Amino acid sequence: MYEVKKLVKKFGKVEVLKKIDLVVENGEKIVIIGPSGSGKSTLLRCLGRLEKATSGKINFCDKDINKISKTHEIGMVFQSFNLFENLTVLENITLAPIKTKLMNKETAIEKAKDYLKKIKLDDKENAYPADLSGGQKQRVAIIRALMTDPKVILFDEPTSALDREMIEEVLNLMEEVAKSGITMIVVTHELNFAYNFATKIIFMDDGKILESGSPQELFNNPQTERLKEFLKN
Amino acid sequence: MSFFNEIGDMFYKTFIYENRYLYFLDGLKNTLIIALLAVIIGIVLGMVISLIKDYNKETKHLKVLTKICDFYVYIIRGTPVLLQLMILYYVVFKSIDIPILLVGILTFGLNSAAYVSEIIRSGILSIGDGQKEAAKTLGLSYFQTMRYIIFPQVLRSMLPALGNEFITLLKDTSVAGYIGIVELLKASDIVSSRTYDYFFPLIVSALIYLFFTFLLVRLMRMLERKLNHVRS
Repeated sequence: MYEVKKLVKKFGKVEVLKKIDLVVENGEKIVIIGPSGSGKSTLLRCLGRLEKATSGKINFCDKDINKISKTHEIGMVFQSFNLFENLTVLENITLAPIKTKLMNKETAIEKAKDYLKKIKLDDKENAYPADLSGGQKQRVAIIRALMTDPKVILFDEPTSALDREMIEEVLNLMEEVAKSGITMIVVTHELNFAYNFATKIIFMDDGKILESGSPQELFNNPQTERLKEFLKN
Repeated sequence: MSFFNEIGDMFYKTFIYENRYLYFLDGLKNTLIIALLAVIIGIVLGMVISLIKDYNKETKHLKVLTKICDFYVYIIRGTPVLLQLMILYYVVFKSIDIPILLVGILTFGLNSAAYVSEIIRSGILSIGDGQKEAAKTLGLSYFQTMRYIIFPQVLRSMLPALGNEFITLLKDTSVAGYIGIVELLKASDIVSSRTYDYFFPLIVSALIYLFFTFLLVRLMRMLERKLNHVRS
Protein backbone atom coordinates (compact mmCIF):
# COMPACT_ATOMS: atom_id res chain seq x y z
CA MET A 1 0.00 0.00 0.00
CA TYR A 2 2.59 2.52 1.16
CA GLU A 3 6.27 2.46 0.45
CA VAL A 4 8.23 5.26 2.08
CA LYS A 5 11.89 5.72 1.20
CA LYS A 6 14.30 8.10 2.91
CA LEU A 7 11.54 10.58 3.64
CA VAL A 8 12.87 13.91 4.88
CA LYS A 9 10.61 16.80 5.88
CA LYS A 10 11.94 20.19 6.89
CA PHE A 11 10.03 23.20 8.10
CA GLY A 12 12.43 25.98 7.35
CA LYS A 13 15.68 24.77 8.85
CA VAL A 14 14.10 22.38 11.32
CA GLU A 15 14.32 18.77 10.21
CA VAL A 16 11.15 17.11 11.49
CA LEU A 17 11.49 13.79 9.67
CA LYS A 18 14.96 12.34 9.24
CA LYS A 19 15.09 9.74 6.50
CA ILE A 20 12.08 7.63 7.34
CA ASP A 21 11.75 4.21 5.72
CA LEU A 22 8.43 2.45 6.06
CA VAL A 23 6.38 -0.19 4.30
CA VAL A 24 2.67 -0.58 4.94
CA GLU A 25 0.93 -3.70 3.66
CA ASN A 26 -2.72 -3.99 2.69
CA GLY A 27 -5.02 -4.43 5.67
CA GLU A 28 -2.45 -3.60 8.32
CA LYS A 29 -3.47 -1.66 11.42
CA ILE A 30 -0.50 0.46 12.28
CA VAL A 31 -0.27 2.57 15.39
CA ILE A 32 2.41 5.23 15.62
CA ILE A 33 3.42 6.22 19.13
CA GLY A 34 6.08 8.52 20.52
CA PRO A 35 6.58 11.69 22.55
CA SER A 36 5.24 15.07 21.39
CA GLY A 37 7.35 16.62 18.68
CA SER A 38 8.71 13.30 17.50
CA GLY A 39 7.28 13.80 14.00
CA LYS A 40 4.36 11.34 14.20
CA SER A 41 1.75 13.74 12.93
CA THR A 42 4.03 15.13 10.25
CA LEU A 43 4.67 11.63 8.95
CA LEU A 44 0.94 10.98 8.87
CA ARG A 45 0.29 14.27 7.09
CA CYS A 46 2.89 13.37 4.48
CA LEU A 47 1.09 10.06 3.93
CA GLY A 48 -2.16 12.01 3.62
CA ARG A 49 -0.68 14.41 1.04
CA LEU A 50 -1.19 17.40 3.31
CA GLU A 51 2.56 17.95 3.49
CA LYS A 52 5.05 17.62 0.68
CA ALA A 53 8.25 15.71 1.28
CA THR A 54 11.40 17.83 1.27
CA SER A 55 13.25 14.83 -0.14
CA GLY A 56 12.72 11.11 -0.42
CA LYS A 57 9.84 9.26 -1.92
CA ILE A 58 6.39 8.03 -0.96
CA ASN A 59 4.66 5.48 -3.17
CA PHE A 60 0.98 4.75 -2.74
CA CYS A 61 -0.25 1.59 -4.46
CA ASP A 62 2.97 1.53 -6.51
CA LYS A 63 2.53 5.08 -7.72
CA ASP A 64 4.24 8.32 -6.71
CA ILE A 65 1.88 9.83 -4.16
CA ASN A 66 2.12 13.25 -5.80
CA LYS A 67 0.82 11.82 -9.04
CA ILE A 68 -2.27 9.95 -7.91
CA SER A 69 -5.45 11.54 -9.16
CA LYS A 70 -8.01 9.89 -6.90
CA THR A 71 -7.25 11.79 -3.74
CA HIS A 72 -10.28 10.35 -1.96
CA GLU A 73 -8.53 6.96 -1.79
CA ILE A 74 -6.64 8.25 1.25
CA GLY A 75 -9.11 9.15 3.99
CA MET A 76 -8.13 11.17 7.00
CA VAL A 77 -9.55 11.82 10.46
CA PHE A 78 -8.25 14.79 12.44
CA GLN A 79 -7.74 15.66 16.07
CA SER A 80 -9.99 18.71 15.70
CA PHE A 81 -12.66 16.82 13.68
CA ASN A 82 -12.76 19.50 10.96
CA LEU A 83 -16.42 19.02 10.18
CA PHE A 84 -17.82 21.63 7.79
CA GLU A 85 -19.42 24.10 10.18
CA ASN A 86 -21.92 25.50 7.70
CA LEU A 87 -23.38 22.12 6.76
CA THR A 88 -25.65 19.67 8.54
CA VAL A 89 -24.41 16.23 9.56
CA LEU A 90 -25.98 14.63 6.50
CA GLU A 91 -24.57 17.30 4.18
CA ASN A 92 -21.14 16.90 5.77
CA ILE A 93 -21.16 13.22 4.93
CA THR A 94 -22.63 13.41 1.43
CA LEU A 95 -21.02 16.60 0.03
CA ALA A 96 -17.78 15.04 -1.22
CA PRO A 97 -19.16 11.84 -2.81
CA ILE A 98 -21.86 13.85 -4.62
CA LYS A 99 -19.68 16.75 -5.78
CA THR A 100 -16.84 14.52 -6.92
CA LYS A 101 -19.43 12.48 -8.83
CA LEU A 102 -18.44 9.34 -7.00
CA MET A 103 -22.12 8.49 -6.58
CA ASN A 104 -25.44 10.15 -7.28
CA LYS A 105 -27.34 12.06 -4.65
CA GLU A 106 -29.85 9.31 -3.79
CA THR A 107 -27.18 6.66 -3.36
CA ALA A 108 -25.04 8.96 -1.24
CA ILE A 109 -27.92 9.90 1.05
CA GLU A 110 -29.00 6.29 1.41
CA LYS A 111 -25.46 5.19 2.23
CA ALA A 112 -25.01 8.08 4.66
CA LYS A 113 -28.24 7.24 6.49
CA ASP A 114 -27.16 3.61 6.78
CA TYR A 115 -23.90 4.69 8.38
CA LEU A 116 -25.66 7.14 10.68
CA LYS A 117 -27.97 4.40 11.85
CA LYS A 118 -24.99 2.16 12.59
CA ILE A 119 -23.41 4.77 14.83
CA LYS A 120 -26.83 5.61 16.31
CA LEU A 121 -26.79 9.22 15.18
CA ASP A 122 -29.65 8.95 12.70
CA ASP A 123 -31.65 11.42 14.77
CA LYS A 124 -28.88 14.00 14.26
CA GLU A 125 -28.78 14.07 10.46
CA ASN A 126 -30.14 17.62 10.32
CA ALA A 127 -28.10 18.94 13.25
CA TYR A 128 -25.13 21.24 12.72
CA PRO A 129 -21.66 20.35 14.01
CA ALA A 130 -21.96 23.05 16.67
CA ASP A 131 -24.82 21.06 18.22
CA LEU A 132 -22.84 17.82 18.61
CA SER A 133 -20.58 16.62 21.40
CA GLY A 134 -16.93 16.03 20.63
CA GLY A 135 -17.39 12.28 20.47
CA GLN A 136 -20.34 12.60 18.13
CA LYS A 137 -18.38 14.98 15.91
CA GLN A 138 -15.50 12.56 15.61
CA ARG A 139 -17.78 9.64 14.82
CA VAL A 140 -19.42 11.69 12.07
CA ALA A 141 -15.94 12.61 10.78
CA ILE A 142 -15.02 8.92 10.65
CA ILE A 143 -18.03 7.90 8.60
CA ARG A 144 -17.51 10.95 6.40
CA ALA A 145 -14.07 9.54 5.62
CA LEU A 146 -15.58 6.10 4.97
CA MET A 147 -18.16 7.40 2.50
CA THR A 148 -15.70 7.73 -0.38
CA ASP A 149 -14.51 4.12 0.06
CA PRO A 150 -10.86 4.95 0.73
CA LYS A 151 -8.17 2.28 0.62
CA VAL A 152 -6.59 3.59 3.78
CA ILE A 153 -7.69 5.84 6.62
CA LEU A 154 -5.20 7.93 8.55
CA PHE A 155 -6.13 8.94 12.09
CA ASP A 156 -4.26 11.92 13.50
CA GLU A 157 -4.72 11.76 17.29
CA PRO A 158 -8.46 11.17 16.89
CA THR A 159 -9.19 11.18 20.63
CA SER A 160 -6.75 13.80 21.93
CA ALA A 161 -9.37 16.56 21.95
CA LEU A 162 -11.99 14.46 23.74
CA ASP A 163 -13.10 13.95 27.31
CA ARG A 164 -12.44 10.57 28.89
CA GLU A 165 -16.01 9.28 28.52
CA MET A 166 -16.13 10.16 24.82
CA ILE A 167 -12.83 8.54 23.94
CA GLU A 168 -14.36 5.10 24.33
CA GLU A 169 -17.13 5.62 21.76
CA VAL A 170 -14.63 6.79 19.15
CA LEU A 171 -12.20 3.94 19.79
CA ASN A 172 -15.05 1.44 19.60
CA LEU A 173 -16.07 2.79 16.22
CA MET A 174 -12.47 2.54 15.02
CA GLU A 175 -12.40 -1.11 16.04
CA GLU A 176 -15.68 -1.61 14.19
CA VAL A 177 -14.18 0.02 11.08
CA ALA A 178 -11.10 -2.18 11.37
CA LYS A 179 -13.22 -5.32 10.98
CA SER A 180 -13.93 -4.39 7.37
CA GLY A 181 -10.28 -5.14 6.60
CA ILE A 182 -9.39 -1.60 5.55
CA THR A 183 -5.84 -0.40 6.11
CA MET A 184 -5.56 1.99 9.06
CA ILE A 185 -2.70 4.09 10.33
CA VAL A 186 -3.27 5.73 13.69
CA VAL A 187 -1.29 8.28 15.65
CA THR A 188 -2.41 8.12 19.27
CA HIS A 189 -1.42 8.39 22.91
CA GLU A 190 -3.89 5.65 23.93
CA LEU A 191 -1.40 2.87 24.62
CA ASN A 192 -3.97 0.33 25.84
CA PHE A 193 -5.91 0.79 22.66
CA ALA A 194 -2.72 0.51 20.63
CA TYR A 195 -1.80 -2.78 22.30
CA ASN A 196 -5.13 -4.44 21.48
CA PHE A 197 -5.75 -2.83 18.12
CA ALA A 198 -2.46 -2.74 16.23
CA THR A 199 -0.96 -5.39 14.01
CA LYS A 200 2.19 -3.34 14.14
CA ILE A 201 3.41 -0.54 16.34
CA ILE A 202 5.92 2.09 15.34
CA PHE A 203 7.81 4.05 17.96
CA MET A 204 9.12 7.40 16.81
CA ASP A 205 11.46 9.82 18.50
CA ASP A 206 13.22 12.91 17.18
CA GLY A 207 12.11 12.42 13.59
CA LYS A 208 13.21 8.81 13.35
CA ILE A 209 11.60 5.40 13.68
CA LEU A 210 13.42 3.84 16.62
CA GLU A 211 11.52 0.60 16.89
CA SER A 212 8.73 -1.22 15.13
CA GLY A 213 7.08 -4.58 15.54
CA SER A 214 4.13 -6.36 17.05
CA PRO A 215 2.55 -4.82 20.17
CA GLN A 216 3.86 -7.73 22.28
CA GLU A 217 7.42 -7.26 21.07
CA LEU A 218 7.47 -3.53 21.67
CA PHE A 219 5.54 -3.30 24.90
CA ASN A 220 6.90 -6.42 26.63
CA ASN A 221 10.41 -6.27 25.33
CA PRO A 222 11.46 -2.74 24.40
CA GLN A 223 14.97 -2.57 22.97
CA THR A 224 15.86 1.11 23.24
CA GLU A 225 16.22 3.24 26.33
CA ARG A 226 13.92 5.88 24.80
CA LEU A 227 11.05 3.43 24.41
CA LYS A 228 11.56 2.01 27.92
CA GLU A 229 11.43 5.53 29.29
CA PHE A 230 8.39 6.40 27.15
CA LEU A 231 6.44 3.36 28.32
CA LYS A 232 7.22 4.10 31.99
CA ASN A 233 5.27 7.35 31.79
CA MET B 1 -42.10 86.17 13.40
CA SER B 2 -39.52 87.49 11.01
CA PHE B 3 -37.26 84.54 11.95
CA PHE B 4 -39.80 82.01 10.74
CA ASN B 5 -40.45 84.11 7.72
CA GLU B 6 -36.78 84.02 6.94
CA ILE B 7 -36.62 80.25 7.29
CA GLY B 8 -39.64 79.80 5.08
CA ASP B 9 -38.06 82.12 2.57
CA MET B 10 -34.80 80.17 2.59
CA PHE B 11 -36.64 76.88 2.22
CA TYR B 12 -38.48 78.27 -0.75
CA LYS B 13 -35.30 79.58 -2.36
CA THR B 14 -33.43 76.33 -1.78
CA PHE B 15 -35.99 73.80 -2.96
CA ILE B 16 -39.01 75.27 -4.67
CA TYR B 17 -37.80 78.25 -6.69
CA GLU B 18 -36.77 77.20 -10.23
CA ASN B 19 -37.50 73.62 -9.19
CA ARG B 20 -34.17 73.48 -7.38
CA TYR B 21 -35.12 70.28 -5.57
CA LEU B 22 -34.40 68.60 -8.88
CA TYR B 23 -30.70 69.28 -8.31
CA PHE B 24 -30.86 67.28 -5.10
CA LEU B 25 -32.77 64.45 -6.72
CA ASP B 26 -30.32 64.32 -9.60
CA GLY B 27 -27.36 64.45 -7.23
CA LEU B 28 -28.85 61.70 -5.09
CA LYS B 29 -29.47 59.58 -8.17
CA ASN B 30 -25.83 59.89 -9.26
CA THR B 31 -24.54 59.21 -5.76
CA LEU B 32 -26.61 56.03 -5.54
CA ILE B 33 -25.66 54.87 -9.04
CA ILE B 34 -21.96 55.31 -8.32
CA ALA B 35 -22.19 53.65 -4.92
CA LEU B 36 -24.29 50.69 -6.09
CA LEU B 37 -22.28 49.86 -9.21
CA ALA B 38 -19.00 50.43 -7.36
CA VAL B 39 -20.09 47.99 -4.66
CA ILE B 40 -20.77 45.35 -7.30
CA ILE B 41 -17.41 45.93 -8.99
CA GLY B 42 -15.77 45.94 -5.56
CA ILE B 43 -17.28 42.63 -4.48
CA VAL B 44 -16.62 40.80 -7.75
CA LEU B 45 -13.08 42.10 -8.23
CA GLY B 46 -12.33 41.85 -4.51
CA MET B 47 -13.39 38.22 -4.53
CA VAL B 48 -11.20 37.49 -7.55
CA ILE B 49 -8.19 39.15 -5.91
CA SER B 50 -8.65 37.29 -2.63
CA LEU B 51 -9.14 33.99 -4.46
CA ILE B 52 -5.96 34.49 -6.48
CA LYS B 53 -4.01 35.24 -3.30
CA ASP B 54 -5.47 32.31 -1.37
CA TYR B 55 -5.00 29.92 -4.28
CA ASN B 56 -1.38 31.01 -4.44
CA LYS B 57 -0.98 30.38 -0.72
CA GLU B 58 -2.46 26.88 -1.03
CA THR B 59 -0.79 25.71 -4.22
CA LYS B 60 2.13 28.12 -4.87
CA HIS B 61 0.76 28.64 -8.39
CA LEU B 62 -0.16 32.01 -10.00
CA LYS B 63 2.94 33.73 -8.64
CA VAL B 64 2.97 36.63 -11.11
CA LEU B 65 -0.75 37.33 -10.74
CA THR B 66 -0.39 37.31 -6.97
CA LYS B 67 2.44 39.85 -7.15
CA ILE B 68 0.26 42.06 -9.36
CA CYS B 69 -2.63 41.78 -6.88
CA ASP B 70 -0.36 42.62 -3.95
CA PHE B 71 0.94 45.66 -5.81
CA TYR B 72 -2.59 46.73 -6.71
CA VAL B 73 -3.81 46.56 -3.12
CA TYR B 74 -0.66 48.39 -2.00
CA ILE B 75 -1.24 51.25 -4.45
CA ILE B 76 -4.95 51.62 -3.73
CA ARG B 77 -4.56 51.54 0.03
CA GLY B 78 -1.57 53.83 -0.04
CA THR B 79 -3.09 56.75 -1.95
CA PRO B 80 -6.16 58.96 -1.35
CA VAL B 81 -9.27 58.06 -3.33
CA LEU B 82 -9.56 61.65 -4.59
CA LEU B 83 -6.11 61.35 -6.12
CA GLN B 84 -7.10 58.04 -7.75
CA LEU B 85 -10.19 59.74 -9.16
CA MET B 86 -8.13 62.58 -10.58
CA ILE B 87 -5.53 60.28 -12.09
CA LEU B 88 -8.23 58.23 -13.78
CA TYR B 89 -9.99 61.31 -15.07
CA TYR B 90 -7.12 63.64 -15.97
CA VAL B 91 -4.51 61.05 -16.96
CA VAL B 92 -5.88 57.63 -17.88
CA PHE B 93 -9.07 58.72 -19.64
CA LYS B 94 -7.75 62.13 -20.69
CA SER B 95 -8.03 61.61 -24.42
CA ILE B 96 -10.85 59.08 -24.39
CA ASP B 97 -14.44 60.22 -24.59
CA ILE B 98 -16.06 58.47 -21.68
CA PRO B 99 -19.07 59.51 -19.59
CA ILE B 100 -17.79 61.22 -16.49
CA LEU B 101 -20.12 59.17 -14.30
CA LEU B 102 -18.39 56.02 -15.53
CA VAL B 103 -15.03 57.39 -14.38
CA GLY B 104 -16.55 57.80 -10.92
CA ILE B 105 -18.03 54.29 -10.91
CA LEU B 106 -14.72 52.78 -12.03
CA THR B 107 -12.65 54.70 -9.50
CA PHE B 108 -14.79 53.79 -6.52
CA GLY B 109 -15.24 50.21 -7.74
CA LEU B 110 -11.51 49.68 -8.20
CA ASN B 111 -10.85 51.37 -4.86
CA SER B 112 -13.40 49.28 -2.98
CA ALA B 113 -12.12 46.05 -4.54
CA ALA B 114 -8.78 46.42 -2.78
CA TYR B 115 -10.43 46.82 0.63
CA VAL B 116 -13.02 44.09 0.01
CA SER B 117 -10.27 41.67 -1.04
CA GLU B 118 -8.52 42.24 2.28
CA ILE B 119 -11.79 41.74 4.17
CA ILE B 120 -12.44 38.45 2.38
CA ARG B 121 -8.85 37.34 2.84
CA SER B 122 -8.96 37.86 6.58
CA GLY B 123 -12.31 36.06 6.60
CA ILE B 124 -10.76 33.05 4.87
CA LEU B 125 -7.85 33.12 7.32
CA SER B 126 -10.22 33.21 10.30
CA ILE B 127 -11.72 29.87 9.29
CA GLY B 128 -8.39 28.11 9.53
CA ASP B 129 -6.89 25.31 7.49
CA GLY B 130 -8.63 22.36 9.17
CA GLN B 131 -11.78 22.30 7.06
CA LYS B 132 -9.78 22.94 3.89
CA GLU B 133 -7.56 19.97 4.70
CA ALA B 134 -10.55 17.74 5.42
CA ALA B 135 -12.09 18.76 2.09
CA LYS B 136 -8.85 18.00 0.30
CA THR B 137 -8.59 14.49 1.71
CA LEU B 138 -12.20 13.89 0.65
CA GLY B 139 -11.25 14.64 -2.94
CA LEU B 140 -12.93 18.05 -3.23
CA SER B 141 -11.20 20.53 -5.53
CA TYR B 142 -10.02 23.95 -4.39
CA PHE B 143 -12.98 25.70 -5.98
CA GLN B 144 -15.51 23.22 -4.65
CA THR B 145 -14.06 23.73 -1.18
CA MET B 146 -14.30 27.49 -1.53
CA ARG B 147 -17.80 27.48 -2.94
CA TYR B 148 -19.51 24.99 -0.65
CA ILE B 149 -17.55 25.28 2.59
CA ILE B 150 -15.33 28.32 3.00
CA PHE B 151 -17.25 31.17 1.32
CA PRO B 152 -20.58 30.52 3.04
CA GLN B 153 -18.76 30.81 6.36
CA VAL B 154 -16.60 33.75 5.29
CA LEU B 155 -19.67 35.68 4.22
CA ARG B 156 -21.16 35.41 7.68
CA SER B 157 -18.04 36.40 9.55
CA MET B 158 -17.14 39.31 7.29
CA LEU B 159 -20.59 40.84 7.01
CA PRO B 160 -19.98 43.58 9.64
CA ALA B 161 -16.70 44.60 8.01
CA LEU B 162 -18.32 44.54 4.60
CA GLY B 163 -21.16 46.73 5.85
CA ASN B 164 -18.62 49.26 7.09
CA GLU B 165 -16.94 49.24 3.70
CA PHE B 166 -20.22 49.98 1.91
CA ILE B 167 -21.01 52.86 4.25
CA THR B 168 -17.54 54.31 3.72
CA LEU B 169 -17.95 53.93 -0.01
CA LEU B 170 -21.31 55.70 -0.06
CA LYS B 171 -19.88 58.67 1.83
CA ASP B 172 -16.65 58.72 -0.18
CA THR B 173 -18.55 59.28 -3.41
CA SER B 174 -18.96 62.85 -2.19
CA VAL B 175 -15.49 63.67 -3.54
CA ALA B 176 -16.65 62.85 -7.07
CA GLY B 177 -17.87 66.42 -7.39
CA TYR B 178 -14.22 67.41 -7.67
CA ILE B 179 -14.04 66.26 -11.29
CA GLY B 180 -17.47 67.66 -12.08
CA ILE B 181 -19.79 64.76 -11.34
CA VAL B 182 -22.99 66.21 -9.94
CA GLU B 183 -23.50 63.94 -6.97
CA LEU B 184 -25.38 64.88 -3.84
CA LEU B 185 -22.81 67.18 -2.25
CA LYS B 186 -22.00 68.87 -5.54
CA ALA B 187 -25.72 69.42 -6.09
CA SER B 188 -26.11 71.16 -2.76
CA ASP B 189 -23.05 73.22 -3.61
CA ILE B 190 -24.63 74.35 -6.86
CA VAL B 191 -27.78 75.37 -5.06
CA SER B 192 -25.79 77.24 -2.39
CA SER B 193 -24.02 79.22 -5.05
CA ARG B 194 -27.39 80.38 -6.33
CA THR B 195 -28.97 81.23 -2.99
CA TYR B 196 -25.87 82.39 -1.10
CA ASP B 197 -27.09 80.21 1.73
CA TYR B 198 -25.25 77.12 2.95
CA PHE B 199 -27.42 76.08 5.85
CA PHE B 200 -30.30 74.33 4.14
CA PRO B 201 -28.47 72.63 1.29
CA LEU B 202 -25.75 71.23 3.55
CA ILE B 203 -28.07 70.09 6.32
CA VAL B 204 -30.39 68.44 3.84
CA SER B 205 -27.48 66.63 2.17
CA ALA B 206 -26.30 65.45 5.58
CA LEU B 207 -29.79 64.13 6.39
CA ILE B 208 -29.97 62.27 3.09
CA TYR B 209 -26.56 60.64 3.65
CA LEU B 210 -27.62 59.72 7.18
CA PHE B 211 -30.85 58.21 5.94
CA PHE B 212 -29.08 55.94 3.46
CA THR B 213 -26.31 54.86 5.80
CA PHE B 214 -29.01 54.09 8.36
CA LEU B 215 -30.78 51.94 5.75
CA LEU B 216 -27.49 50.14 5.05
CA VAL B 217 -26.92 49.43 8.73
CA ARG B 218 -30.42 47.97 9.06
CA LEU B 219 -30.00 45.90 5.91
CA MET B 220 -26.72 44.45 7.18
CA ARG B 221 -28.27 43.62 10.56
CA MET B 222 -31.10 41.83 8.80
CA LEU B 223 -28.68 39.83 6.67
CA GLU B 224 -26.59 38.92 9.69
CA ARG B 225 -29.61 37.68 11.56
CA LYS B 226 -30.75 35.67 8.58
CA LEU B 227 -27.36 34.01 8.14
CA ASN B 228 -27.07 33.25 11.83
CA HIS B 229 -30.48 31.69 11.71
CA VAL B 230 -29.45 29.35 8.92
CA ARG B 231 -26.69 28.02 11.10
CA SER B 232 -29.27 27.60 13.90
